[in-house]
This record gives sequence, C-alpha cells and structure tokens, in this order.
Amino acid sequence: MEFLTYFGDVFTVPAMLLLIGGTIGGLILGATPGLSPTMAVALLIPFTFQLEAVHGLILLGAAYTSTVAGGAVSAILLKIPGAPANIATTLDGYEMARRGQGARALQLAFLASLVGGLIGVALLIFLTPVLAEWALAFGPSELFWLAILGVTIIGSLGTSSVVKGLLSGCIGLWLATVGFDDILGVQRFVFHSSLSGGISIVPALIGLFAIPQVIAMFADGRSSSSIEAISVERHPLSRAFRELLSRSRAVVIGTVSGSVIGLIPGIGGQIAGLVAYDQARKVSPERDKFGTGHPEGIIAAESANNAMVGPSLVPLLTLSIPGSPTAAVLLGGLLIHGIFPGTDLFDNHPHVAWPFINSMLIGQILMCVFGLYVASLAARVALVPKSIMAPIVLGLAVFGSYSVQHSMGDVYVMAALGTMMYFLERFGFSAAPLVLGLILGPIAESNFIQGSLIAEATVGSFAYFFGGALNLLLIAIVVASVGYSLYAELRARRAGNAERGTP
Amino acid sequence: MKQVLAGIALVLAALVGTVEADEYPDRPIMLMVSYGAGGATDFQARIVTMTAGNEDALGVPIAIINKPGAGGRVGWNWFATEAEADGYTLAAYNIPHFVAQSIKGGVEYSKDSFEPIANWGADPAVFIVGKDSPFSSMMDVIAWAEENPGKLTFSGAGLFVGHHIAALQIEKAAGVTMQYVPTKGGGAAAMKAVIAGDVMAGINNLSDAYRAREAGNIKILAVADIQRNEEFLPDVPTMMEEGLDVDNSSVNFRGIMVPKGTSDAIIEKLAAIVPEMFMNSRVLGKMAAGGSPVHVMNREEVLAMWEERDAYLRELLKDL
Amino acid sequence: MTALQPRLASGIILLLAIWVCWISFSQIPAEAFLFPRLISVAFVILAGWTLARTFLDRRAAEGGITRELVKNFLPGVVVAGIYVFFAAKWLGFYTSSAIAFIVILSLFDPAPHNQVRTWLKRLAIAAGYLAVMYLLFSVVLKVFTPRGLFI
Repeated sequence: MEFLTYFGDVFTVPAMLLLIGGTIGGLILGATPGLSPTMAVALLIPFTFQLEAVHGLILLGAAYTSTVAGGAVSAILLKIPGAPANIATTLDGYEMARRGQGARALQLAFLASLVGGLIGVALLIFLTPVLAEWALAFGPSELFWLAILGVTIIGSLGTSSVVKGLLSGCIGLWLATVGFDDILGVQRFVFHSSLSGGISIVPALIGLFAIPQVIAMFADGRSSSSIEAISVERHPLSRAFRELLSRSRAVVIGTVSGSVIGLIPGIGGQIAGLVAYDQARKVSPERDKFGTGHPEGIIAAESANNAMVGPSLVPLLTLSIPGSPTAAVLLGGLLIHGIFPGTDLFDNHPHVAWPFINSMLIGQILMCVFGLYVASLAARVALVPKSIMAPIVLGLAVFGSYSVQHSMGDVYVMAALGTMMYFLERFGFSAAPLVLGLILGPIAESNFIQGSLIAEATVGSFAYFFGGALNLLLIAIVVASVGYSLYAELRARRAGNAERGTP
Repeated sequence: MKQVLAGIALVLAALVGTVEADEYPDRPIMLMVSYGAGGATDFQARIVTMTAGNEDALGVPIAIINKPGAGGRVGWNWFATEAEADGYTLAAYNIPHFVAQSIKGGVEYSKDSFEPIANWGADPAVFIVGKDSPFSSMMDVIAWAEENPGKLTFSGAGLFVGHHIAALQIEKAAGVTMQYVPTKGGGAAAMKAVIAGDVMAGINNLSDAYRAREAGNIKILAVADIQRNEEFLPDVPTMMEEGLDVDNSSVNFRGIMVPKGTSDAIIEKLAAIVPEMFMNSRVLGKMAAGGSPVHVMNREEVLAMWEERDAYLRELLKDL
Repeated sequence: MTALQPRLASGIILLLAIWVCWISFSQIPAEAFLFPRLISVAFVILAGWTLARTFLDRRAAEGGITRELVKNFLPGVVVAGIYVFFAAKWLGFYTSSAIAFIVILSLFDPAPHNQVRTWLKRLAIAAGYLAVMYLLFSVVLKVFTPRGLFI
C-alpha cells in the first residue's frame, strides 16, 4: 500500500495541470490517424527536458494512457484505427456509429477502457515481481508459437468463412516479408521502389481500413449521398453504465486477456485487442452478432487494450527491458533524468516511480471523464454528408500515412493496398485477418530464425520448438483454436444446408 | 553584350550563393534516425539536438524522424537516394554499421554517398552474461567454446552492425567458433535474450549494459575498446587485457551527416556550429545522466575515421 | 450474379500465390527465403482451395461488382488516384489536397451546381478542412509535408 502515500505528489497544481493537459492532448493525438501512442509519447519527450523528473513522467504516463483510448475515437467514427491496438474496435464500433449509435459506442469504449486500465495498473502495482518472471518465460520458441496462435485466430475474424480468413492472413504474412529481410538484410519481393522500405504497419492499417470505406462512400453515388444516419441517438450515461455491468463477461475476458498478453515483451500491445475480441466472441451466446455492431465487441477490445498498458511496463520497470515500442520511449524519458529502472527502482526513486504509476491511475479516470464528455458531441460526425466525409477521410489517410515516416512511398502503399482491399472485401475477404498477418509475420519469422539458430547450437530444432511445458501448452491452444473454428464452420454450413433443404 | 550578361549572371549567382548560406537555416531541420523511437541512437539524437533552436546554435529546431528497418538499411537507403541535399535534411550515422552493410552489398549507399558533419558519441560493445552464469571472465568463455565448438550461443543486435563486428573479431582472435544469434529490434531484444537465459551470453552497448548491471541483471566480462571506460566501467577489462586481440573497430560511433551534393557553404556552416552544439553543458549533463558516453569529433576527424574503418572492415569481411 | 467474378478473383489470388511460391523457392540466399517458403506453401494451398470451392459450393461463388457500382465510384477513384499518386508530390501537399477536396465534394454533393451559394459553401468547407489539417499536422505535429510547385 506504499503507493497510497505518494498520491499527494500527484495532487499538486503543476502535476494536475500536466495530467489534464497530457490527457486532453493524448486524446486528440490518439484520435489522429497515423499517430500511434509510441509516436505521441516520443513527440512529448522534448517537453520533459524542461520539467522535473516526476512531472515529466506524469506527462508521459498521462499521454500514454489517453492516446491508447483516444485511438478508439477514429476507429469508431471514421473506421481508421489509430494504432494496431484499435483494430478490433473498428469491427463493431464503426457499424454502431453508422446506425447512429456512435454515442453509445464511444461511451462503452471509454468505460471499458477505464475498467481495463485501472485493473491493468493495479496489477502493475501489486504483482510486478511475480509478473516479471512470467514475462521472461517467453523465449524465441514460445513467441513463435504465440505468433502462430495469433495467426490461427485469423480464421475466425470477421470473415464469412475460415478458409477465406486464413487466406487473407496468408496475404498479410506475405506482405510482411516484402522489403528488407530484417536479419540478413536481403531485399525480398521488391518490384517497385516504394516497397524497398517494406510495408509499414500503420500506413497499411490506414489504407486497409479507411480506403475501402472511402470507395464505398463514392459507390453510393451523387443521388443518394444525403445524410446516412437518419438521426444520432442520444445516449444517457447511466444507460451505458448499466449496459457495461450487464455485459460483464466481455469486460472480464477483455481485461484478463489484455493483462496477460500485455506482459509478453515484443508482441503484447498490438494484438491484445484482437485476441480479446476473438475470445469474447467464441464464448458469447450472441456470437453471430459480432461484426454487425455488437457492443460486446467494443467492450472486449477496448478493455483489453487499456488493460495492457500497466502490465506492458512490468518488464521495463523491473528488468529495464522495454517490452513494447512505447515502453522504449518511456525508458528514454526516465534516463534523461538519470533514473535507471531495475529491481530496486521503487527503493531508490520512490518519489518518481510511485507518482508516475499513480498518475496513470488518475490519468485513466480523467481520460474516461473527458472521453465521455466529448462522446455525444463526437458521435454527430455520423451526420456529416458522405460527399464531405469521403474527401475528409481520404485527406486524413494521406496526411496520416505520410506523417509516420515522412515517406511518399508509404502513401502509395497505403492507397494501393486500400484499393485492393475494397475489391477483396466484395468477395468476402476482410481486412482484420490480413492486418493480423502483417503484424505477426515479422514476429513469427524473427523468432523462428533465432530459435533455429539457438536450436542448431544446442538441443536440435524438434526438441527446442516442441519441448517445455509452455511450448506444449501453446501448441495445444493452437490445435484447439483451429479445431474449434473448423467445427463451428462445419456446423454453420450444415445448419445452412438444412435451411435450404439441400444436402 | 553577351559577356556583360554572363558577368551579371555570375555575380547574381555568387550573391544568391552567399545569401543562401547566410540565411541558412531559416526553417526547421529534419534529422532522420534509421532506428526506432526509443532506441539508443534515437534517444541520444533527441538529446544532442535539443538545443538546436538556441540563438548561439542553429537558431531553428531539429525534428527527429524515425525510419527504422533492417538494421538501418531502410533509412540510409532512403537518405542516399531520396533525401534532398538542401541542408534541411540531416541523418544520424552509425559506424561501423552502414560501412559494413555497404561492403556486404545489397544497399544503395557507401561511405561516399554521405558527407559527415560531426560525431557526438562512441559506444563500445561489451561482452555480457546473465547474473547467474558460470562464466566470470573471457577466459572461461573461450575455454568453454574450445571444448564445445559452435555450441556457445550469444546474442547481438543484428548482422553487420557493431555487435556483429565485435563477435567476428572475438571468434577470429580466439580461433573458436560460436553461434552468433542476431535479434530483431536492436540492443534491447539482444539484452532480453541474455537476461531471460535464451542465449548463454551476448554482446551489447556499453550504455545499456551499464544500466542492466546497475539493475543487477547481468555481468560484464570485457569491453571491446582500446582503453577501459573510466567513466562508467572502470573495473571492466578490455579484450586485449583478457588476451584477445580485439581493437576498437566495433565501437559504435554516432554522429550527424548530410547527403552528398549538399553545398559546401552549408556543410561548412554546419561543421562549425554542430560540434559546439554537442558540447553544450545541458546536453552533456543529460547524456551523462542517461549513461551515454560522449565523444565529440569534428568533420575532418570523422572523415579520417570513416576512411580507416572502411579499409579495416573490407579486410575483416573479405572472407564472409 | 454470376459466379464468374469470384472465380476470376480467386484465380488472380492463386496466380499471385504461385508467383510468391516460385520466387521463394528460386531466389538466393536461401536462408532469407526460409520463412517465405513456409508461408507460400500455405498460401498456394489456401488459394487453390478457395478457387476450387467457387466451383463446388454455390454459396462460395457469391459477391462481385456491378456495372452501376463502378459507374458510381469511378470518378471519385480517378480523382483520388491522381491526387495521391501524382498531384500530391507535383503540386505540393496542401495545394493538391485543397483541389482534390473541392473536386470530390462537387462530384458527390447533391446540391445544384449552378448556384453561387453552393459553391460558396463548398469553398468554406474546404477552407475549414485545410485550416484544421494545417494546424494538426504542420503546427502541432511538425510534419514536413512535400513541397511541389506550391506548398
């Protein structure tokens, strides 16, 4: 309970001002397409040069928590996921916003983020030493199987059929290999100079989700381009609270999977939302509603990606190993003030470490308050006519994908992938599994190669990749996951055939 | 008449030229870092450029742009082929990384594609083992490797970067073969592999290893430099003291460069101001706080260092 | 709707998969293509299966693009294509964005083209949009947008 004694440091005037500023700024930056939490925190680092160590970290902590949640805004309203963490939110969020339920979707997203976020930070406070051990248990072979597990989730994400889902995932895995091979530095599949830098995830994400949307708006033509949502529902906050309580299963699944996955260095943050979404769907009795604007989808995804914030800092704060790109940037924020994270961080620098963590707790609450405040206002975006919305989304996609690396090549890749995705969607493929393949491809590949090198020198490939309890557990989950997807599809097909009365 | 016109044109051109250099820089400058945000190069680049906006420095801020990928190849390829040579596009270099990569081939740059401005840091590679490792000196490591050829696994941040060069030098000096495991994602991933026990040993940056040792996670066995590092690791011997003929060729020099074709006036101006900027007391304070060794070199010294590294690395990498 | 389009689409994906497979198994150095080999085999199998299903299962051969759909989105896609692939770098980011915005807005806005008020409204919306983009990307985020003939 030591952390309680340091709450006083957060409730000072400069600290609160920084917290509020960081939260509002983080929400805006998070809602900007192309601006991932990592970049937002990196942008703020120069400001912390001028501040005291504890204030600098409060600002960074507040910005980190609120950019993750802010990504939900553009994911729900524009179908542009601001970062990989928000992919799962687009699946149901955008459908709800289209029906005029944007306010409800946003309120649920922020409330779910709050619950997940608070529990995640609480884990960081109480269980750090235990969790650090767990984070280190994942070596190359375990990470490889974890990536494969992610790939098997692909099959059931948002597509009409498992085969098409897996095929989309394969296209994503292949796209991830385009460009320089990360370890040997050999160029692969570079058939146009824009591709020599590879396909970066954020521009690809923007293109794959936003551009099909823009083309679909074009496709409605001039005549029907009047207001789409007839009215935007007002949604009282109390109802959102009650709804969250009544859908506690999704909250629990989201929070648990987010916290567990967030811990694993190098993989967690990006896929926590998707994994939680998939799990929530598999156990839900209303699983057919997922993808059509079902609140549970948003709740699971958003509670997961904020729950991952706290645990993702465990390896950093205890072992000085940044477990995610954002944690790496935060490490920089600590180092410029001469603070070295490590097992004794909380003994040597309690006046910095505890207020930083406390500020993330307060930051979660502020984020939720401000988010709820703008939710009903922001939901009115659905009233904007398509003739205006289409060029706005197009412009945001272009500026957003350019700003990631200042590269025109990224903009071309974004537009080309997006156009391709529009046509693929017409044939029953979907963007989510493709993006998951794109994210997991490099993780699977590098761990496969590292594992093979280690195995070659030690126990041999088979013993290395198939030995150990954790490996076997992960393999069992992979098999179960594939088996379940195939079984569900067969059952659905049989049911469909029975309805049609044909064998 | 023609001659008069030509004369006027010449004078005008000269005027424009000087005006350009006088007014330079009049808008913010971009500094491309070919590693991800949060990495050692990115972190140090942000610190050394933080005073760029001061009146006695450049007078305009420097913004960091990250173009990570393939051990720096993505960023430097972009810098060599697409960056504008207008003085507003700078990049951070890492020696020996980009020289080794250009010798190995498959990239569109060499040391002649860039013009150095100044060097800000030198981060030697160190040999590390986990805190519970049975190895407590380089002798132990080499002895084990001799008994078990090719079985000693050790991590480093990729192929043809400073860590890999150090690995090659150690193997050559000791006459043993070991299994080098390159990681993706820079020094942090290589460090994690050592702490978690995925590999038996590793090569890492002095600055990161110093912090990890402070945190009680690793042991540092030797530093691949000519002298001990008196500031951070006075107790750690050099490779040569341990009997391995490994010099400072793997030391990771970091500095700022511009693309070939940038006008001489701009290069001169930058080369005069930038080293001063690195020596700013606030910059030095922040660098020391983060455990990052500073080593400021001017343009001439850097040019000589590039030449020397290029010649040595061609020799070392000849057989690969 | 005919089954031709889904079959064609699956066929194109299968060709892509075969190309990926062929490159993966023929390029050197082999170590760099180890992982592409693994996935390209799965890629070909899945693509082949998808194509086969369009012949075997009637429901798998659904979806496609109608002539009307193409007629509707083509003007927008052409303008967007010129904007992204050509004008953005040639004219500069902000200039091309402004032009693309007004052209696309006018193409799809149902308001009558022959009234001054319509055009004033469109210009005002475009100006507001540009101001927000400039504030966000150039002022706050300090993005160096490409300059062409203009900014």
